[in-house]
Amino acid sequence: MQPCAISVRNVHKSYGKTKAVNGLSFVVSQAECFGLLGPNGAGKTTMMSMMYGKAERDSSPEGVIDVLGFDPQYNPLNVRHLLGVVPQDDNLDGELNVYQNLSLFAKFYGLSGSAAKTSIERLIETMELTDKKRSKIRELSGGMSRRLIIARALLNDPKILILDEPTTGLDPQVRHMIWDTLRLMKKNGITILLSTHYMEEAFQLCDNLIIMHKGEKVIEGRPRQLLDQSIEKYVLDIINKEHEDRIRGYLNSPSIRADISKETLHLYSNHIDALKEIACLLEPGDFFLRAANLEDLFIKATGRALDDPA
Amino acid sequence: MTTLHNSDGNKAYPSLAMRLYSVWYRHMRVYRSNLLSNGLPPFLEPLIFLAGIGLGLGKYVPSFGNVPYVGFLAMGLPITTAMMTASFECTFGTFINIEFNKVYDGMLAAPISVNNLIIGEILWAGTKGFFFAFAVVVVAAPFGIIPLPRGLIMPFIGFITGLMFASLSLLVTSFVKTISFFNFYFTGFLSPMFFLSGVVFPVAELPGPLRYAAEVLPLTHPVRLSRAICLGQLRPALLFDVLYITAFIALFGYLALKRLRRRLID
Repeated sequence: MQPCAISVRNVHKSYGKTKAVNGLSFVVSQAECFGLLGPNGAGKTTMMSMMYGKAERDSSPEGVIDVLGFDPQYNPLNVRHLLGVVPQDDNLDGELNVYQNLSLFAKFYGLSGSAAKTSIERLIETMELTDKKRSKIRELSGGMSRRLIIARALLNDPKILILDEPTTGLDPQVRHMIWDTLRLMKKNGITILLSTHYMEEAFQLCDNLIIMHKGEKVIEGRPRQLLDQSIEKYVLDIINKEHEDRIRGYLNSPSIRADISKETLHLYSNHIDALKEIACLLEPGDFFLRAANLEDLFIKATGRALDDPA
Repeated sequence: MTTLHNSDGNKAYPSLAMRLYSVWYRHMRVYRSNLLSNGLPPFLEPLIFLAGIGLGLGKYVPSFGNVPYVGFLAMGLPITTAMMTASFECTFGTFINIEFNKVYDGMLAAPISVNNLIIGEILWAGTKGFFFAFAVVVVAAPFGIIPLPRGLIMPFIGFITGLMFASLSLLVTSFVKTISFFNFYFTGFLSPMFFLSGVVFPVAELPGPLRYAAEVLPLTHPVRLSRAICLGQLRPALLFDVLYITAFIALFGYLALKRLRRRLID
């Protein structure tokens, strides 16, 4: 077991009457990539803000957050100095250009002179922003802004990188490029805490993950192990329920779990033959038979209801 | 420069002075990046103002003692300019950085505390007060309406005035939910104060009770200080103004820190 980089124990956070985080506990080992998964409003961002003292947990003697030996609530500067943060919203300094944004943060970290210049140049190159070095922030595409924010978070060679939905709204090219960067960081021994609601992203990157729902942890484990243990192996997605009556008799079979939504029907089972048998009764094109993935687990754990408070 | 290393090889975060400097540097950098549009108006504005008064209105207004009216006005102008620039910076400017472009959220992910952020901002507003007051002196001195070298103290009082109104404006900002609310602060408080604080006519000319009210207003004190120094009329009563200014910065600075912390930290 690696020594732990982050330890969160019994943490609560309320905004007025709303409980954003409700008794959350988890441990992140050094140099692993740990995923916080959950629908919008599950409390992922709040949890991450508490990691670097941007939000304060409810006061309680049992609630503990330890980041590399520091409590971010009381020693925010120690923690922030060792951390790189990639927030969900772009908060680049629109009044400055790409290079100036990085050199300003280099100043914040106490880097100066040629050391700062070398790091900045290296990161601009790594994040493929060389052509945009002197560009204004508003001239950048969404993907470029994101890459710049990641570069900014890496300036001080952080021990831990915190990324809040880093690839939301990005095209596949940028997403894969960011994944590659994160894999490289992990190889270099950087601990990564990542929130996402893209299950593929979690599956590609995370060594361990928790799924959160309404501020609570509902599932924890390694992605592979969770797939093996916490969800059936196969799914029959029925995307056209027109002929549902043909298969009604099968829905109560003990080897099948049915998940019914408005327009579709999903049948989960460990026995592919059982699902194949049902599929034979349907029209081709009305169904897909496939292996279950993390998204199925996510839906199973957090339900189909929309939790977005907006 | 000041990056320290502690025993287990972890880099320590930069010193307080460096942190404040880097916040100040951010604002200076942004200001400098639009040098023409930011740097020219501070010189043009007093030129237009003083020309208008000196060539027009001044003829109709008697001198105060042996000071012509345009000179009387010119000795208060650096201070009101410093007040206005610091107030704009710490109302609209700060509000935008907090609410709209989230620049402050970004800075709080670096080793910068909320207090560093706010005090750095106040120091920057003071610097702008210095610069704007300096611009007025540069414009007015060649016409002989601000006496040199005594007038060179004015930018420093402009700095102090900047600190005062930065603190007050930040406290106001901490209450504001929509940006248009600042109109109340500017037209309801700062503009009337311009007329009641001994800038356009001496406080002594005010009717009885208003004269005491003028003593409560923050602008009165740096204006009196600035004019007294310019005219070489130093007197012990000015210590009261110094005391007022110091207490004002300390009180409103403290309240602004407390209130904005609640706004910036969830």
